[in-house]
Amino acid sequence: MKNKLKVKSEKLIVFKIFNYCLIFTIFYILFTALSCSPNKERIFKKDKILMDTLITITVVSDLKDTAEKAIDAAFSEIEYLEKLSNHYSPDSEITRINRNAGVSEVKVSDDILKLLEKALYVSENTEGAFDVTIGPVIALYDFNKKIRPDYGMIKKNLSLVNYRDIIINRDKSTVFLKKKGVLIDLGGIAKGYAADKAAETLKKQGIRSGLVAVAGDIKAFGLKPDGKPWKIGIRNPEAKDKEDDIMATVELEDMAISTSGDYERFFLFNGKRYHHLLNPKTGLSAQECRSVSIITKEGAFTDAFATGIFILGPEQGLKVLDKLGFEGMIIDSQGKSHLTQGIRKKIEFKRTVS
Amino acid sequence: MSLKELFHNTTLADRILFSLMIVLSLSGIAFIKEILPDNFTVHIYADGYPAYILPLDKNRVVSVEGPQGKTVVEIKDHQVRIIESPCHNKLCIQTGWVRSGAVLCLPNRIVVTLGDPDKHKKTVDATTG
Repeated sequence: MKNKLKVKSEKLIVFKIFNYCLIFTIFYILFTALSCSPNKERIFKKDKILMDTLITITVVSDLKDTAEKAIDAAFSEIEYLEKLSNHYSPDSEITRINRNAGVSEVKVSDDILKLLEKALYVSENTEGAFDVTIGPVIALYDFNKKIRPDYGMIKKNLSLVNYRDIIINRDKSTVFLKKKGVLIDLGGIAKGYAADKAAETLKKQGIRSGLVAVAGDIKAFGLKPDGKPWKIGIRNPEAKDKEDDIMATVELEDMAISTSGDYERFFLFNGKRYHHLLNPKTGLSAQECRSVSIITKEGAFTDAFATGIFILGPEQGLKVLDKLGFEGMIIDSQGKSHLTQGIRKKIEFKRTVS
Repeated sequence: MSLKELFHNTTLADRILFSLMIVLSLSGIAFIKEILPDNFTVHIYADGYPAYILPLDKNRVVSVEGPQGKTVVEIKDHQVRIIESPCHNKLCIQTGWVRSGAVLCLPNRIVVTLGDPDKHKKTVDATTG
């Protein structure tokens, strides 16, 4: 009788343990199945070449259709902005403004008005180091064919470079260029503005988190599915190989970042570097910096101030950033880094900096 | 023998082992799915810690110390294999050459994965400049 009871109790224990194992297995399977369910937030990414550059849009969504619809809408917005702002296109609003320089005012869209107002704000805050009327001087260079213009030509065209010649009439939605021959080139601000507008479009489509990278002009909003901010790599201007390509990383949430560097479009002649970041006062490539990264809310400003501050140089550049409350990192011609106070807490270096 | 009889003939140890095997198999699937990276760099982990990160395009033989002893890994012609192992079943050696995915030696806790050469880039979501 005692033995029978013992066997019965042993059987009960075995049965209980087996049940626990079974329950654990079932829960494990359920957990795995749920964690792989299609309703979990995921990252969707799409590339497209627009504005003569590669644009990558990344969004966080739990539905593929929603993500793709939003990304396509954002690309359409960029395409629309490209049509308005491309000064090489015969039909763009900017071309119409340029064509009517010194002749008549031109009625333009709200986007072009905003872009030009922002451009003028940057010009005023960089003492003209950023100037969208640099067009006639840029047109003299060909960085692919390594063409350096004659200085006489540069000097002649410099007389056409002055952002004060742009007259905006908000009430009439018109733009007028005071002098004939003035040429607006929005290459230094349009990409950043496009990143802003694309991010706005994504939000309107119900996307709460995303990243728009119009080449190096990046706008980030929201957090990644793991709850972390978007991590952006800053290119090393002195990179010798792929391993060395990224100098530092910075985490962004609801912020934009842009970098201007002398390694983007350039050629070397007699040991001198000729690059596309031209000083509107001399018409020559600015020589004080190697790269400038700017962080603030608006992509239009990060884009334009990165160029303007590259031309201003590290000392004056830092003063401008401090005055406006922007964050930034300037690598000077000697490779020395100059950082604003705020960026020191956010940046993580991958190489030793001076 | 019916399924019911088979069930009654199993011991407690059998049943625990059976449950654990199911859990381990599912974990294995999840683990492999999670760690399988792209091919170009060889990552060798010993007991959970990274021991080597080597280029896949350079032929070489390296040995790595696991809890049971030395495991020898060979990289040749963009492939990887384990050629020596202290483990008893030698399943890792039997796996042979792999061009993608991973070679594991579970008893000696060695994981060899083929990773991306631009892994540092993958750690960022975008690049400015």
